[in-house]
Amino acid sequence: MTRAESIAALGDLRRARRRQRVAEIHWIDAMYQVYITGVIAVVALVFLSTFIGDGQVDADTAADVLRHGPAVCGLVAALAIFVGLRSGARGGPLALERPDVRHVLLSQVDRGVALRGPAWRQLRFALFVGVAVGAGLGQLALRRLPGNQAEWMATGALFGATVAMLAFGSALVASGVKLPSWVATFGGGALVAWSVADIAGRAPTAPGTIVGRLPLWPMDFDPLAVLGVVLAVALVAVGMRTVAGTSLESAERRTALVGQLRFAVTLQDLRTVLVLRRQLAQERPRSRPWVPARAGHARYPVLQRGVRSVMRWPLGRIGRIATLVVVAGLAFRGIWAGTTPLILVAGPALWLAALDAAEPLGQEVDHPGRTDTFPFERGLLFLQHLPLVFMVSGVVGLLTGVVALLPGPSAVPPGEALLVGVVASLLAACGAIVSIVQGAPEPVDNLAITTPEIAGTRTVFRTAWPPGLAVIGTLPLLAARGAFDRPVTETGATPMAAALLATLPMILLIVLVAAWARFYDRIHAFLRDAMEQASPTKAAERASAEREAREQAALEEVIASADAARKGDGDDAAGGSNAERTPKPKPKPKPKPKANPSPPAAGVQGGTSAKPIGRRRDQEPS
Amino acid sequence: MTNTPALTADGLTKTYDELVALHPLELVIPSGQSVALIGHNGSGKSTFLRMVAGLLEPSGGDLEVHGFDLGDVEARATTSYLPDEPVLYDDLSLREHVEYISRLHGGDGFDDYAEEMCARLGLTDRVDDLPSRFSRGLRQKTAIVLAIARPFSLLLVDEPFVGLDQPGKAVLLDLLDEVHADGATTLVATHDPAYVDRVDRSIALRDGEVVFDGTATVDQVLALVGG
Repeated sequence: MTRAESIAALGDLRRARRRQRVAEIHWIDAMYQVYITGVIAVVALVFLSTFIGDGQVDADTAADVLRHGPAVCGLVAALAIFVGLRSGARGGPLALERPDVRHVLLSQVDRGVALRGPAWRQLRFALFVGVAVGAGLGQLALRRLPGNQAEWMATGALFGATVAMLAFGSALVASGVKLPSWVATFGGGALVAWSVADIAGRAPTAPGTIVGRLPLWPMDFDPLAVLGVVLAVALVAVGMRTVAGTSLESAERRTALVGQLRFAVTLQDLRTVLVLRRQLAQERPRSRPWVPARAGHARYPVLQRGVRSVMRWPLGRIGRIATLVVVAGLAFRGIWAGTTPLILVAGPALWLAALDAAEPLGQEVDHPGRTDTFPFERGLLFLQHLPLVFMVSGVVGLLTGVVALLPGPSAVPPGEALLVGVVASLLAACGAIVSIVQGAPEPVDNLAITTPEIAGTRTVFRTAWPPGLAVIGTLPLLAARGAFDRPVTETGATPMAAALLATLPMILLIVLVAAWARFYDRIHAFLRDAMEQASPTKAAERASAEREAREQAALEEVIASADAARKGDGDDAAGGSNAERTPKPKPKPKPKPKANPSPPAAGVQGGTSAKPIGRRRDQEPS
Repeated sequence: MTNTPALTADGLTKTYDELVALHPLELVIPSGQSVALIGHNGSGKSTFLRMVAGLLEPSGGDLEVHGFDLGDVEARATTSYLPDEPVLYDDLSLREHVEYISRLHGGDGFDDYAEEMCARLGLTDRVDDLPSRFSRGLRQKTAIVLAIARPFSLLLVDEPFVGLDQPGKAVLLDLLDEVHADGATTLVATHDPAYVDRVDRSIALRDGEVVFDGTATVDQVLALVGG
């Protein structure tokens, strides 16, 4: 098959598919999506504008921006390459459809021809996002930094496009040359580490920093930054040439997972996103545990099950948690030095680590069909999983504290570091428990139907509350810092005492979250009932049923009195009473009782199994 | 091509971390032979077929299809793979599927042969419907049409009878016999011991290793892999 024939056959295939897709597009839905995206973009811009403020910075700050800005922006470029290399080593960045892998890539069609089309389309989208985000950030920078509006937006857009190309190009090259995963991790990681060291002023200029000079052109034009753009374009060009070498095995594994991942993200189903991400990274539990489990009867089987799960953590997961511990510990040091916004780094880092610690609990939530068969409530099972989650998180917290107290710049005093590390980590565990137990939003939500505004607020709350809990956990560090900054005579408390005082409400929060997990199903059932009671439709149905019942009662009363009168007449034996002659009114048929869902049998509350089919069949007479 | 083996595996192996899915395998399948690949679940049948199809990368060893390296255009041109789970586009009708997939393989599109296949499998009335709305069995029949209506000389079939009704199964068995009679090499992985009566050669796998290679009877197969 010639190249021209390949192109013609693929072109025909894509045209036919496009026709079918266009015919099936729901235009109102599409326009609604555009509308929602626009609203979110505007809200994000307004929020960031408010956060950044609009006063021009002084000369010293501008000099600071010029000194450190390129390294910070360079870190973004280095991270883009790191993410791209890792994605490419796992078969990315292309997310093909499974039939395309099976039918197109297994055919005689030139694989380069077949893959370059999707690659260009994906690059186009990445460039659009990069340019839009870059221009938006340029617009924000303009509010505080000196320079021309068009220049800031243009350089921002150029930098955004460069970052997008660096990520996409590195992924394409890594995928095309089948770069081993460890090479991608170490190569990309070295670039990131170099950039971090450059920011700290402890390394010569990192390669990323050269690219990072690009967005600051309006303040200081450095032609060397063009090298970043050239490198990005070169990476894309090489990637497009080598794309035919993409592994079909990785591509096929990716096809199924990426589709599910997108769907799970759409549904805000965090647990599914986590599980799929692990599958995408081929992160599987070890077949042999680090420490072999003892056989025999366990007094606490749920705890034992959890310990066995932790003992099978793969090295990659341990490495990820270690990285998060270092990030959180360094953020603690930054907070102690006065950079309060770093609580938004420390909290989420600990929350992500806690999501791994809560894996055994997540496994139970993933299999409601199995938990439904246990002879006790799901809540009890959840409760028995919590000690392990807190234990693992406690260890993570202690390690975070150790990173924060290590000698060096901005070291946190040992007592405060360890206390805050543990407290913040336990609150992060609470956030992880909430994330996992609440699961994905229900597909049919009465609240969303009746009051979209409340439902929208609730969605934001559902998403923000779990990491928010983790951020709240870092507040004792702020309390300790506040006490440290002022003399004891003024505050009346030492930093440690202030941290301990701030910890007390945290303990209450931990107890509340544990109770919430224990009674989650009951609370959920209660709220569902309350929602049904409050629903206008349900209220109208109830009023109608009550009215019919009243009418029926009145009718029965009339009939009863007529019967009594007739009976009286008969006793008198007088000929023909009115009651006898009056035709008996036909009783109105009783309204059919509304089908109420039968309450779940004991032991099957919660979960998604709608019918206890097995039990029902068992109860039928043989 | 007739003198060149359809398939040559030399030390072919596949591992997933610590798990060995296929131990080093030495195998030569001459052109035109019909072969049954039998074994328990997890014995390595599907892994082997998916490697020959080019969907899995060998962890070691060499694999040649009609003398061409795995993944070469020539190897892809001669190999047709019928998976146990149909993989179909959601937005193409059965006719469009056949038309375009046949063209991607240098075929003539929805020709008389494809039409006859559809008729034999009872799909004539459904050719303009979307397979995404078909039942499992009809989707499997669609996959059969797609695998056989295109040009090939090596047919790989993985658990072909799953989801098929009795008439469908009978038609598929006839089709496998016909393509074999036409000179194609067939390699069919199945749990059905009775199928070994229809083939020239049976290869039994257990835990990723060949435990039997030759002409087998149903009883021998049952003794080898249980039943």
